[in-house]
Amino acid sequence: MDIDIQKGMARIRGIPNYPVIQSKAKYALLDISLSTLAAAFEEVAKRVPEFKAEIAGWNDGRRFAVGVLPKGPYITLEKRGDMTHYLGKGLLSPDVTFLFKNLDSGVLVFTGLMSSHQAVAECRALVKGNIGYAMELNRALAIVETYLFPGIILKRIFKEPPKLSSAQLITKGKVYGALLPALIRQMV
Amino acid sequence: MIPNYYQFYCPVKILSGHQAVSNIPFEMELLGCKKAMLVTDKGVVDAGLIDIVKTAFADSDREIGYIFDEVPQDSSNRIVNKLAKLFVKEKCDCFLAVGGGSSMDTAKGANVVVSEGSDDLLKLQGVENITKDLKPMIAIPTTAGTGSEVTKAAVVYNEEENVKMAFLSDKLYPDVAVIDPRMTLSLPPKMTAATGMDALTHAIEAYTCLQKNPIDDVFAKVAIDLIRRYLVRATEDGKDKEARIGMANAALLAGIAFSNSNVGMVHSLAHASGSVCHVPHGVANAILLPWVLEYNLDEVPEYIAEISGALGSSVEYLEPRDQGQVTISLVRNLLTRLNQVSGLPTRLSDAGVTEDDLPAIAQAAINDGAHTYNPRDLTYDVALETLKKAF
Repeated sequence: MDIDIQKGMARIRGIPNYPVIQSKAKYALLDISLSTLAAAFEEVAKRVPEFKAEIAGWNDGRRFAVGVLPKGPYITLEKRGDMTHYLGKGLLSPDVTFLFKNLDSGVLVFTGLMSSHQAVAECRALVKGNIGYAMELNRALAIVETYLFPGIILKRIFKEPPKLSSAQLITKGKVYGALLPALIRQMV
Repeated sequence: MIPNYYQFYCPVKILSGHQAVSNIPFEMELLGCKKAMLVTDKGVVDAGLIDIVKTAFADSDREIGYIFDEVPQDSSNRIVNKLAKLFVKEKCDCFLAVGGGSSMDTAKGANVVVSEGSDDLLKLQGVENITKDLKPMIAIPTTAGTGSEVTKAAVVYNEEENVKMAFLSDKLYPDVAVIDPRMTLSLPPKMTAATGMDALTHAIEAYTCLQKNPIDDVFAKVAIDLIRRYLVRATEDGKDKEARIGMANAALLAGIAFSNSNVGMVHSLAHASGSVCHVPHGVANAILLPWVLEYNLDEVPEYIAEISGALGSSVEYLEPRDQGQVTISLVRNLLTRLNQVSGLPTRLSDAGVTEDDLPAIAQAAINDGAHTYNPRDLTYDVALETLKKAF
């Protein structure tokens, strides 16, 4: 069986321009993942009180970005009032940026195979900007992930997985329901 | 345990032992440098340690271009920017940092500002944000704790925001670390104890936190073993040269370990205690270390248990959790012993912290990056609870 899989993989790797195709596929996956994350930041900010409390101390207009080195994709968001607003793709003058060193590292995290703290521990990700801002962003990101990922992934990516109340689970359902329209709005 | 992935890097040339300082001019020649900016503090000058360095230059064609002795207990962005301007004005071509972590981190910070052509260090904080090659730097520690002579880290106090900023970059490693026993002989007992406990915290956090790896484990365990042998001796008798060089090497080894494996929650709480209440870093680490080990024990009992031997445990090896408790007891015993011989505080309340300060320290701690590598989460509630226990 293993030999069959290896032979199959070898055939796939033999496809002309396979490295380019693989790289483009990873880029596309991360592009969609980051767009979903951006939408989740907006939708969670609208509905989740603990998220609003977490960003209450942030200065208005603080921009944060998440992306992949060296060529993207990237997303930039901004805090306004008690909301976070998606500004668009690219690095748009962020105050703090989470960066993955390469596409492979980004894929590991965005597919839920690796936690962001493990990615940092394995030197796969880095921060540009104020470390205090980065820690605040990390806590906000953890809340977004709580409402974005299913429980099975949360167990894998959190040091101590959060336990959601019934009300929080209902909110999570509402966030899920709002994500697709939000993604469509992004594309339009 | 073999991690899924790890990195290790330490490009520092180490000179350790009898009259090591005498080799500095030769090392400057190898580095292509002629005129050093010596960075230190007034305490080091008053102790006569700069005279030892000056003597080394007496028969050399290399020179000390300027002696900057204004480094405070906690290096600040203002001092760093001032030093950077002086370095350019005096046409120096390398940094010679003589002192504790503050002097070395000030030199590192100024080196970044000079080499990046920036006017302000604040613009360059974060991880791996330094792109230009830095000027050569030689580090001569006069304490045995910080390990900054072999680390890629610099911690600088941000006066505007009242927080300690961390800079992490492979470019921040000094070129040469000079460990000369003469340079730590005058360190007072309490500071010897505090800086030694800082080194112990570096080694234990490197060994027990998320970035641990087999190479750093070796450095960390040997560092712990040397600290067990020599810390109390060096504190009791500052003129004990063997104990002094042993502790200097322990601090260096722990520095190599944590530069690659990083630290954890003890450091987040200690940085915050320093920012809010100006508790000396080593003192805060010493007080908080056993409480954080207790908190982490449920998550990493094996790692905490494994260091009991280096700390001198003679107990037959128990189940990991019980053996971990042995480790914590040994750390507490060491702290108590150091309190007896040097007056090192064992509670935050004895270190100038009031109960009203604890919420502000907890808030600052959760915004400190070090706990990213801690095996368990550091939330505000956990930070406050731990601080209350240590109070």
